[in-house]
Amino acid sequence: MKILVCVKQVPESEIPIQIDDTGSWIDMDAITEFKMNRLDEYAVEEALLIKASLPDGHIDIVTVGPDHCDAVVRRAVGMGADSGVHIRLDADGYQSPWGVAAALAAFARDKNYSLILTGAMSEDSMQGQVGPMLAACLDYGWATSVIFEKIASDEKTIYVEREIEGGHRDTLELNLPAVITIQSGINTPRWPSLSNLLRANSQELETINMSDLVQIQPMEHPAAVGYPQKSRAGLILSGSRAEKAAHLLTVFREKSFL
Amino acid sequence: MIMTSKSPTQKQKMTSAIVIVAEHAEGRIKPVTYEVIAFARKLQRHTSSSPISILLLADEVENPAQELADRCGLDVTAMRIPAMQSYNGELYVQVLAEFLADMHPAFVCTAHTSQGQDYAPALAVKLSAACITGVGDLIGQGKETAFARPTYGGKVIAHLQPRSPTAVITVQPGIHNAAAKPGNTKGNVTILTPSAQNRRSRSLGIKQADADTARIGDASVIVAAGRGIGEEDNLDNIRQLAALFAKSAVAGSRIVCDLGWLGYPCQVGVTGTTVSPQLYIACGISGAVQHVMGMQGSEFIVAINKDPSAAIFQVADIGIVEDLNAFIPEFIRVYNSEKGGQNG
Repeated sequence: MKILVCVKQVPESEIPIQIDDTGSWIDMDAITEFKMNRLDEYAVEEALLIKASLPDGHIDIVTVGPDHCDAVVRRAVGMGADSGVHIRLDADGYQSPWGVAAALAAFARDKNYSLILTGAMSEDSMQGQVGPMLAACLDYGWATSVIFEKIASDEKTIYVEREIEGGHRDTLELNLPAVITIQSGINTPRWPSLSNLLRANSQELETINMSDLVQIQPMEHPAAVGYPQKSRAGLILSGSRAEKAAHLLTVFREKSFL
Repeated sequence: MIMTSKSPTQKQKMTSAIVIVAEHAEGRIKPVTYEVIAFARKLQRHTSSSPISILLLADEVENPAQELADRCGLDVTAMRIPAMQSYNGELYVQVLAEFLADMHPAFVCTAHTSQGQDYAPALAVKLSAACITGVGDLIGQGKETAFARPTYGGKVIAHLQPRSPTAVITVQPGIHNAAAKPGNTKGNVTILTPSAQNRRSRSLGIKQADADTARIGDASVIVAAGRGIGEEDNLDNIRQLAALFAKSAVAGSRIVCDLGWLGYPCQVGVTGTTVSPQLYIACGISGAVQHVMGMQGSEFIVAINKDPSAAIFQVADIGIVEDLNAFIPEFIRVYNSEKGGQNG
């Protein structure tokens, strides 16, 4: 069974995000520390678990992004995936999810993947669109926010449980090939092993220019970007710990909470 | 499609129409649908769009469709799909794509829930429409109207403008007031029975979460734990604080649930439950946007966190910069001593 996992490089969570001089997008040059999107780590791990449960499996990793994004492909190969592909963009900046999905679809279309996995959403743009869009482009079945999966023994269908509101689970069966997007908590992603990392670093990544795959006009335009506004009064209590406790109690009494 | 009542709307080409796709469960309209309606009314004012109408897809449509039409005074087109006992993404996209391709609406609005997130992007591809998800607010007027949505963990807000005749929008729950507009007129209900067939997926039903967990959505007071509680044993502090309040519940952020310290039914946030209690006490919660989106509708918010730069203080009415594991026992001590004084 051939499996494709789509991963994304995102900025480290703790670094500040600044708006660029034009005010239309963030200053990408100021971001120097990156990592693999956390939910994509769960997707890679799930693919590795699926491969281990099947008589034969092969995992390809793919990313779409500028030059520095090859690091996340190597990390995923370091976790144990078989090979990696980098769909190259010339520039950083806003990426339309549709453009990314269309490029992934163009890449995957004739390669006989039975299953395509990706994280339920990226930590940076937080749109959660690429998975279902990729399924729509390929006319595959899909399920988002998957928290449990099991492939049937005949490898023709997959049973999935989707996490929905209130901790309930929506269960369904998809014909393969299918696209599933993975929610955190489905597994515990492993660390890359030294031997796999050495293999990843010596292995040649396949590089494709995005413009050779698709020419897509984005359907949405990033007109501006701003900082969030403080939404509440935000009184910070002062004094000793006991004074703060007494102050808070007074507020709770005034508001009849206690 | 078979029309079972009058007013054939789907033939008209309404290029500035706003269409809402309702969300429902067990024959009832989910409250988040009324939030989407409130957002759509705002969108209508910003863009001078045509009337708003509502689509509803279900196996049994009469009761929920009538509830919607009565409560909000908007016309409802109900699509009866007997084979769909619960949400199914494939059927939603199939039926909506066919109906909306004829209708050419300017905007298709639905909730940014586990359903909306599942089908909206695929629907956008089928309609060659822009897709903007997790929208909180609107900026600007007319053609310049932009959809504001948090990005980069909520550190910045992106303003996106559609550049296509149709845009599919998912609206962040917990922001817009769900209060129904008290209208004199009731909307009309049209029932259609479109052909719809699963080819690639089969819904197998909803697995209920463990019932022993308190329903946080119904609580008046929520005390929520984040990674900052340090270790699982410190949940005792959270439980003791919650026990002081009537109708209270203990909840947690995603990571606390991922760690197994609390069950997922206790999770507040984008992927958990959206809550709006009278009082929300955030303990050791950093304030990632995914969490904030799930609780910002609370009437009064208290944040306890030892990191003074934590984003949670941006949304709090009262902020306490303290280690919660020292502060909560202190608060309970002050409470008990005052109570003793009152009684004695």
